[in-house]
Amino acid sequence: MVALGRALKEVENQTPLGYEIIKHTVTKKGNAHVVGVTGPPGVGKSTLTGKLCRFWADMGLSVGVICVDPTSPFKGGALLGDRIRMQELAKLPNVFIKSLATRGNVGGIAASTGDIVQVMDAFGKDIIIVETVGVGQVEFEVMDVADTVVLVTVPGLGDAIQTLKAGIMEVAAVYVVNQADRPGADESVSDLQMMIEETASTWKPSVLKTVAIDNDGTEQLLDEVERHKEYLQETCLWVGNRRERNIKQLFKVIQNSFKQQLNEYIETNGELQKLVSQVGEGKLDPHSAAEDILADLIRKTPLGGN
Amino acid sequence: MSRPIKVVMAKLGLDIHWRGAVAVSRMLRDEGMEVVYLGNQFPEQIVNAAVQEGADVVGLSTLGGNHNSLGPKVVELLRKKGLEDILVLMGGVIPSEDIPALKEKGIAAVFGPESKIVDIASFIRGKVS
Amino acid sequence: MTKEKQKLFDQKVVEQLGTKKERWHEETLKGKVGDKKYYTESGIPIDILYSPSDIKDLDYQKDIGFPGEAPYTRGVYPNMYRGRLFTVRQLAGFGAPEDCNQRIKYLLDNGATGVNIVFDLPTVRGYNSDDPEAEGNVGACGVAIDSLEDMETLFNSIPIDEISSSVVTHMPSTTVVLLAMYMVMAEKRGIALEKLSGTNQNDFLMETVVGSAPEILPPKASFRLQCDAIEYASKHLPRWNPVSYNGYNLREAGTSAVQEVAVGIANAIATAEELISRGNSVDDFAKRMSFFWDLCNDFFEEIAKCRASRIVFQEVMRDRFQAKNPNSQMMRFHVQTSGITLTAVEPLNNIARSSIQGLAAILGGAQSLHIDSYDEAYSAPTEEAALVSLRTQQILQGETNVVNTVDPLAGSYYVESLTREMAQRIREYIEEIERKGGLVAVTESGWLHREISNFAYKQQKAIENGEQKIVGVNHFPAEKKKAAEIEVFRYPETAVRQTEKLARLRKKRDQAKLDKALGNLREKCLSDENIMPYVKEAVLALATLGEIEEIFREEFGLWQFPLA
Repeated sequence: MVALGRALKEVENQTPLGYEIIKHTVTKKGNAHVVGVTGPPGVGKSTLTGKLCRFWADMGLSVGVICVDPTSPFKGGALLGDRIRMQELAKLPNVFIKSLATRGNVGGIAASTGDIVQVMDAFGKDIIIVETVGVGQVEFEVMDVADTVVLVTVPGLGDAIQTLKAGIMEVAAVYVVNQADRPGADESVSDLQMMIEETASTWKPSVLKTVAIDNDGTEQLLDEVERHKEYLQETCLWVGNRRERNIKQLFKVIQNSFKQQLNEYIETNGELQKLVSQVGEGKLDPHSAAEDILADLIRKTPLGGN
Repeated sequence: MSRPIKVVMAKLGLDIHWRGAVAVSRMLRDEGMEVVYLGNQFPEQIVNAAVQEGADVVGLSTLGGNHNSLGPKVVELLRKKGLEDILVLMGGVIPSEDIPALKEKGIAAVFGPESKIVDIASFIRGKVS
Repeated sequence: MTKEKQKLFDQKVVEQLGTKKERWHEETLKGKVGDKKYYTESGIPIDILYSPSDIKDLDYQKDIGFPGEAPYTRGVYPNMYRGRLFTVRQLAGFGAPEDCNQRIKYLLDNGATGVNIVFDLPTVRGYNSDDPEAEGNVGACGVAIDSLEDMETLFNSIPIDEISSSVVTHMPSTTVVLLAMYMVMAEKRGIALEKLSGTNQNDFLMETVVGSAPEILPPKASFRLQCDAIEYASKHLPRWNPVSYNGYNLREAGTSAVQEVAVGIANAIATAEELISRGNSVDDFAKRMSFFWDLCNDFFEEIAKCRASRIVFQEVMRDRFQAKNPNSQMMRFHVQTSGITLTAVEPLNNIARSSIQGLAAILGGAQSLHIDSYDEAYSAPTEEAALVSLRTQQILQGETNVVNTVDPLAGSYYVESLTREMAQRIREYIEEIERKGGLVAVTESGWLHREISNFAYKQQKAIENGEQKIVGVNHFPAEKKKAAEIEVFRYPETAVRQTEKLARLRKKRDQAKLDKALGNLREKCLSDENIMPYVKEAVLALATLGEIEEIFREEFGLWQFPLA
């Protein structure tokens, strides 16, 4: 546990040692099932994550849990309050809980989440649960790290469900209406079912009702998650999806890194800085300036012309 | 330090007063640190959390008199796991006459009731690098 | 209640005065004050001057009244302190029962008229002195009680049928056990339960909001135990107050004076609803509901709070629950001066603070009073410090003449204006809690925890940036940063002694009788029955406190704060 803790610390902080660890562990992965739990704030994601974790831990599996909370825009700090909700679980020797702050990332998870998942996998976790921050409309980055995405909502969030349609419908494998003892639960379930009918995938997600604090319906959720795993493995999507995710991650890293290097280059180049100030003062339009800056960059790199 | 400092904050043992621990946690967040608030925990669990979370700092809050017995235990358990580089701080109500012994046993600093957050934060930044 | 108001002031005269006040503002005052705005601690704006126009609608009979009559603004008893001085009830509690027994006798010998016992953390949170969770906390900040025998030692040679005992059990799970022990002890001494006079705190918010812990019972379970104790006492302990709604600790955790009272009354509302649904009538139990308020630094606000709390409670009991017995409408409260306003630096300053707070409590009409010791900010009080507090009370009672007239601040334009404003804000906060589903619901959802956490956070920031002044800390800061060397009291061997006692106890018990009693108790946890008789049975069979609490934890399950 100490070794994993140290390794994850390096990866979280994107240190050189962290990159070494990532490099080294990429081929050491087992076949961990990565389950994402996402949904609006306050729906009970933590409680459900805890219940699922408990089931798997009691079966003797090694479980990793990653909880993500938002970084405060004010000074970049964060209050990570998910772990305290999993006190009893944290005591189990086969459960490892890691809290992460988004550190400015807007997709609902932290930028390092994928790498953390990889390292946990390499250290032998059978299941890794990723609990996202409470998400709004377009923050579904969890699909880039998870095999099975569970979308949680509660009765009475009708409008929120409509907006969710914009992105998550193609991605969630299981839908949960939690706090199902509240009025409106059945309506929420049928609304979701109608939306699912309209999707074209071969996997038809189920809509489950749960009352997480009473552990009601959580076993069915577990079964659905397991069923999705079987489906992925039988249809070879298990491997196919991972391939896609790995490549997507590659391009994301390229873009981030490129952006960073580009910014650094522009900031330290006097000539280019002049163009930047001219745009700032409204004396030059951004398109012409961009053309010139990119032309300069391409000239200077091997990718450019001869 | 270019990356946020990670703090694990716990109420020590059975200690009931959470006002200070939560206020300090929130204010350390305002100072740019990432704080995992653990609630009430005993030394073994506090150390487990510090390990799993990759903590730079462990903060122990107590007003009830268990500082002498449980505080140094946290330091001891961290050392056993080879994690002596983690800074262990205590806060709450701790008699001044007990502080030298606590420091000797590895508690880096004790912040009493009239401490200011800027002092706590700058102490932490000074030690963690 | 919609009778025409009989206004105290001649309305024409008051209106003229209102105009004259404006003139005064414009002519005499102008230029002599800046723009700075002033507020009470709870955020009520304070005008520079109050005059009759600020309370122009006052109807003496309806809004203020006479003491001992509705609306009880001026006090719950007609003669107040001339009839009975506020009980000087100083806290005692540390170490093993035999140590604490000595302190109780000392205080009684020196003029204390009641006993006020606090328990150590393991006892309060339901662990025996030899449980691993108790490590480091046995006998610290309170007395350790593990069994009936410890209770008997604690009250050895103390006439429990003659004095009033405040047994500060904090939370319902502890209350049911300690109250059961107190009753069984009395029965064994041949004292009729009807003779026992005293108070339990028994507030489920202590269990689930105010104090954090590694293992907490769910709010519904804790609330059930709270109601069980109150119901049982209403039937068997006519002179006992089985609940003292704890505004003090809530306030200290981080609320305003308004929130403090509103939550306390909301708790009384929830209790009344539950007990009525069980078939009790409001007049059976309401007269024995008591309250426990804090007393902080805003002198007049705290006095107004005390008065306003009586007004709102009376209204609620009369209108909402149709209580017929006047005793059911009377809010009686104990006051403790604030701990969080005391400083560790320059501790003798705290004598001034708590004396002023004590005075406010008297002017507010408290039934009993504890004045914090000057070292209470960092220690269970030393004997010397405890004596100073006791003497402070005696000086207030005997030398100042303040107690010889009832509610002397009535009629003050400021105090009456503030009283009315606070009563209104208290009513609004209660309504907000009710709209959100009642006190148990807002506890389960974490809403109340967030209110507290936000208040405490704002207050801490105000202190750190100097907006809120604390003498010796950020206002005329002490030159030497270290606190004066005050002898700190320690009770080191308590754990060892208690462990030995427990070992002996376990050997002498009748195991069969114990197992049967514990088995019954476990079964009844999940039933609707009142749990008290079964706890008594277990206590009599010498079950330890830890054993009984462990059964509660197992049967009711555990819960954690939903902290933001």
